[in-house]
Amino acid sequence: MAKTQSVSTRRGLGERAMGRIFLAPSFAFMAVIALFPVFYAIGMSLYSIRGFHQEFTGFDNYARVLTDAGFFNAVGNTLVFTVASVSLEFVVGMAFALIMHQAFVGRGLTRAVILVPWVIPTAVAAQVWRYMFDHNPGFVNSVLGTDVNWLRDPAWSMVGIISADVWKTAPFVALLLLAGLQTIPKDYYEAARVDGATVVQRFWFITLPLLRPAIVVALLFRTVDALRMFDFAYVFAGYSNSLATLSVYAQRFLVAEPELGYANALSTVTFVIVMIVGLAFISRMGRHMVGDVARKEK
Amino acid sequence: MSELSRHKRYAVRTGAAGLAALGLTLATACGTPPGEGSEEEGESAGLAEDPQFVWAVTGADRQVHEEVARLWNERNPDRQVDIFFLAPTADEQRQAMFQDLQSQAGEFDVLGLDVIWTGEFADYGYIESLEDLRSEVDGVSLDGAVDSAQWQQELYALPYSSNGAFLYYRTDLVDEPPATWEELYETGTEAAEEAGISGYVGQGDQYEGLVVNFLELYWSAGGELFDDAQSQSTFLEGDAATTALDFMTEAYDSGFYAEGFDSMVEDDARALFQAGEAVYMRNWPYAIPLLEGEGGEESAVADDFAVAPLPTFTGEGTTSALGGLNNAVSTLSENKDLAREFVLWAATDPEAQDILATNSLPPTMQSAYEDTEDPHLEVLGEILGDAHARPPVPGYNSMSLVMQENLHAAYLGQEDPAAALEAVDRSADEALEQE
Repeated sequence: MAKTQSVSTRRGLGERAMGRIFLAPSFAFMAVIALFPVFYAIGMSLYSIRGFHQEFTGFDNYARVLTDAGFFNAVGNTLVFTVASVSLEFVVGMAFALIMHQAFVGRGLTRAVILVPWVIPTAVAAQVWRYMFDHNPGFVNSVLGTDVNWLRDPAWSMVGIISADVWKTAPFVALLLLAGLQTIPKDYYEAARVDGATVVQRFWFITLPLLRPAIVVALLFRTVDALRMFDFAYVFAGYSNSLATLSVYAQRFLVAEPELGYANALSTVTFVIVMIVGLAFISRMGRHMVGDVARKEK
Repeated sequence: MSELSRHKRYAVRTGAAGLAALGLTLATACGTPPGEGSEEEGESAGLAEDPQFVWAVTGADRQVHEEVARLWNERNPDRQVDIFFLAPTADEQRQAMFQDLQSQAGEFDVLGLDVIWTGEFADYGYIESLEDLRSEVDGVSLDGAVDSAQWQQELYALPYSSNGAFLYYRTDLVDEPPATWEELYETGTEAAEEAGISGYVGQGDQYEGLVVNFLELYWSAGGELFDDAQSQSTFLEGDAATTALDFMTEAYDSGFYAEGFDSMVEDDARALFQAGEAVYMRNWPYAIPLLEGEGGEESAVADDFAVAPLPTFTGEGTTSALGGLNNAVSTLSENKDLAREFVLWAATDPEAQDILATNSLPPTMQSAYEDTEDPHLEVLGEILGDAHARPPVPGYNSMSLVMQENLHAAYLGQEDPAAALEAVDRSADEALEQE
């Protein structure tokens, strides 16, 4: 190990340094595209901005966030939505993935059909679902034989957007899991079958553990996405507190009640929440990777 | 596990982590969530070769505004105007104008403002005071329209177009339009039962339309949101607020309001009434040509409907909320004199205002309603004479959002009515605050 390094140093730049140079352009690009707006938004969140009158107010906006009942209501809505939709999407997506992974006649068609909801733009899907849930013509109610106020009852409308979101994104989860399933070598299953393992045992002891990286990625993507959810909540209920998620609530102060400073404080808090959740996922993956590297270097 | 498979797993994880990190950064990078639907930024109409100034106005009723601008250009060939059409929805228009102003771009010289934005734009320092032009519009434009263009007794915009609500009723089911809300409720319930349809459709969804529908009840019960000096809320004075809310609650509970009233907007109501599913409808004038079956529209009520002013609680007069547009001059304009001249011209030139009238966009000049031959315009003139401007205070939108939330929940029985009305009162006080 030490020897190769000294050789490469003599040739000029080390592999690591070369790597950094090659990474620099994309890193700079990311910084301009991603980091600049983040810091700009954080900077703006320290001001009170009303039209052409602006004033530096330090952390006043953040103090206001922490005493704003509307904000905590939005946090509650977002968490309920995220937990419910991500768990349902995971279960349904896993089922889809297992079905799509089987070899059977019409498999190609099935895969295409399952993916249709994912292809539809969310804003369009949200409009369609809203129409189906609406009292007039009352499509969902007549199919289910119920008389539920899907759009305006706070609890039922949450059920409404969760089911719409599950319909929309379960295929995405299925796609990620399917990719994971296809990397699992067939030999393991054959060996397990020879040893007499049942279907459930094969799923539990082979599929699940080997699928773990794909599962973590799928859950990470979905969780982060669900925490930012805007379209369904806004299309179903506008700025109404009954469904307002963090994104809808921040948007309210950007557009409906334009207070740019406060809107940016809300966005920053939302960003931090999403970031913490995201980092928690990544660190779970990361720790294992670091473990691998450490063992290798010994 | 073999060395090979461990290596493979490592590769999978690295890839996955990298991908995940990228996704996370991109996902959270935007400090602001995406807006609804399309990102259409509007467009120039290209009306002039060498435009001297730009008029930003709603993309709704586009050909009317275009015709008005053409008339100006014809008369002022050296000082032509071009139009920048904004999105047809109010929120997007406001956002586009805010962006232009807040970013100091200053592309727009004349701003076509919804009647409820005057206070906000004035307070934000976005628009010029036009107080010195007051004498030109006093007594010329509709009083309500002038009210809607001022904030703290100072004029910041001049009237351009107006709008008022009609009570649409079925002539085959009721003989006379009702004079009071109680009469409307009783005759509507009876006729609806006989015909097996709904009594009333209107705007009951949680949005600005609900505020308008509520305020029409509230004003007609004698309520006023603010005192004359616009210094404090008088929302709870008298019993107008409870009278209005009680009426809505009862109408909803008893099924006088059609099913789905709580998610109904203008066009939902129009569609139901047009299909012959309701006895009464509260709506803007735009529904008339559609209900008459113009342009191949299918209408079940083409020969069986008429319009009247909305009733009141006392049976005297009528009350409608005032809609429409006022034109203001941007503080960033480099052509303020020209912009002011155009704003005044659009408000007071009979020919310009006549273009609106002939295109069934209600004008704001009083003379347009005198000796007209159009019976609908005549009724509208009567309505607009008594119409109320929603108070264009700086915090109007915040107040409206609080009203939407609380009143909607209250008439559906999900919130205590007294608590809801108190929340509205508090928000009305807050709407006056300036920083």
